Amino acid sequence: MKVSRWVGITLAVSLFSFTAQAAMYWSPAPAKHGHGGHDRHAPKVFVLSEGAGAELALITPKPNQIPLQAEQGRVTIKPTGMDNYHALVATRDQGKGHESAIRYVYMNNKPSGESPSDIMAYEKSVLEIEPAPYAREHWRYYSNTEAVFVLRFKGKPLANTTVLLNTANGTIEQLQSDGEGVLTVLLPEDFSAIKAGRMGNRPSEFVLTLSHSEGEQVFTTTLSSDYHINPEHWQSTPLGLLTVLGGMALGGFITVRRRRRKEK
Amino acid sequence: MPVWKNLSVIRKVVQLLAFLFLVYGSVFVGFYSADKLSGAFPVLSCAYDAKTADYCVLIPLQHQIGHGLGPAIAAGKFTLSLLLPILTTLGTFVILFVLLNKAFCGWLCPLGFFQEVLGMIGQKLRMKRTESLDPKLVDRIRPAKWLMLGLLVILFPLASGLGFAGQELGDPFCKICPSRILTSLAAGQLNQLYIDTSSSGYMILSIIADTLFGLILVLSLTMRQPFCRICPMLALHALFRKVGLVKLVKNYTPRCDKCGLCAKACPMDIREIHTSKEKDILMPDCTLCGRCVEFCPDKGVMALKYAVIPIKISDPHYFKERNKAQKKWEGKQKPSRRVKKD
Repeated sequence: MKVSRWVGITLAVSLFSFTAQAAMYWSPAPAKHGHGGHDRHAPKVFVLSEGAGAELALITPKPNQIPLQAEQGRVTIKPTGMDNYHALVATRDQGKGHESAIRYVYMNNKPSGESPSDIMAYEKSVLEIEPAPYAREHWRYYSNTEAVFVLRFKGKPLANTTVLLNTANGTIEQLQSDGEGVLTVLLPEDFSAIKAGRMGNRPSEFVLTLSHSEGEQVFTTTLSSDYHINPEHWQSTPLGLLTVLGGMALGGFITVRRRRRKEK
Repeated sequence: MPVWKNLSVIRKVVQLLAFLFLVYGSVFVGFYSADKLSGAFPVLSCAYDAKTADYCVLIPLQHQIGHGLGPAIAAGKFTLSLLLPILTTLGTFVILFVLLNKAFCGWLCPLGFFQEVLGMIGQKLRMKRTESLDPKLVDRIRPAKWLMLGLLVILFPLASGLGFAGQELGDPFCKICPSRILTSLAAGQLNQLYIDTSSSGYMILSIIADTLFGLILVLSLTMRQPFCRICPMLALHALFRKVGLVKLVKNYTPRCDKCGLCAKACPMDIREIHTSKEKDILMPDCTLCGRCVEFCPDKGVMALKYAVIPIKISDPHYFKERNKAQKKWEGKQKPSRRVKKD
């Protein structure tokens, strides 16, 4: 049992080392001035790592494809005139290798009138990791919570396939999809410095890397996103339950007192 | 009385369907539908509920004031275009309000339905109910809804955006809203029931929220609609109540002075509907539940109308049947301990 675990870890580390060198992925460009303000309509800047020679595009919720150009390794996404999730896609074909890197970006603007389900389901590359679902209003990916994805190859689910998870905090894990191509990821609790409160903590990044071969053709795709520290570090549910019980006791006291006064 | 003729039963069915749609709706209409429907049903259905199909209108309103308007004024960059999102939110609200008026409260709100269900449980447990609150107490409670709207939905978010108050007060109503806890618990989430220890401000707000939720759980068993009386949505509705198509009208007769059954039936204790000689008796606290019309014993004195189309008109035959049905439902009330002793 122990041997197989060590073999798994060794395989994961070696695969990760390989994909870290070869697989391209998106990440946000470091903010120049700390927090970066609160202008929701400001252009967003991303960096494509290991992405030399890749074709870049932004897919709008409609979906329309807007070609992008990298400048000094950075890609700037300007407002597209519509809100909701857009897909940032990089593709590269080198001989028998076919790569893609996908990241979903929320843009604030006029209502697009389209459901994010459509942009998630839209085939952006032959091999794809589809969030099922992606976060929506008041939702984020949090550490110590499960995130669900569907692996797709040529639009069909990819069952029992290995996926690598690596985070900017240093976690490396090897995961496997189930018989229906569903991948459940328990996002790691790997933040080292935790401050109380959402605003005091910066999010980290995770990258899922999936490879699949068909004949001599090798397909690789990555999906990246941010994830946040779970608020359970400063939000206590047991204390919350106790306070509700306190409120109930207060309600009981008010009811009894009111009744006795009325009876008098 | 056949249940399909009983307005209260019809309303409960509508409330149940609205509760299922608003709390679990995304299961039926898609996970992201809430993003589209947001604001379309401006009742207290919460964005923190993982299965919701709709967001309460108070969320965008607080955020637009706290994140958009406030910081822009503070930075000296105020333009009329900044008011556009707020006006759009209120505009959506008003359009739907014209169609349904305050029936949002009495027919659709998940928190209102929850309180009514608790009241029914209290009745079945034979708990002694307070049918009408003391008029002085009602008068003292009434301004609370305006304070909730003015302070928690408008002023505090604006002060937070301007930098005069902490970020805790960016959306303070949501922080204390019992519907946030209710709808997320109903969706199987415990993550909105907490005490936040990250700052004293967040801690105070979370203590208020949980205490308020506990209070509602108990008070609703013996008292009608405890939270509705202080809900800022009631105040927001009250601002626009004259433009809605659903109307509550009264044809005053001298018999009204001696009767007062309508005021007794009112879950919001609006005693003015009994004394008013006005035609339009849609008061700021009314939730358009229609109980006053049901329990009016005189033909044609009270009516619930959609524009000019009558939905329900008071009728002595219906009144008798409805009274019978009510007594059958309530059963015999347990006498209080003091009465027993006597």
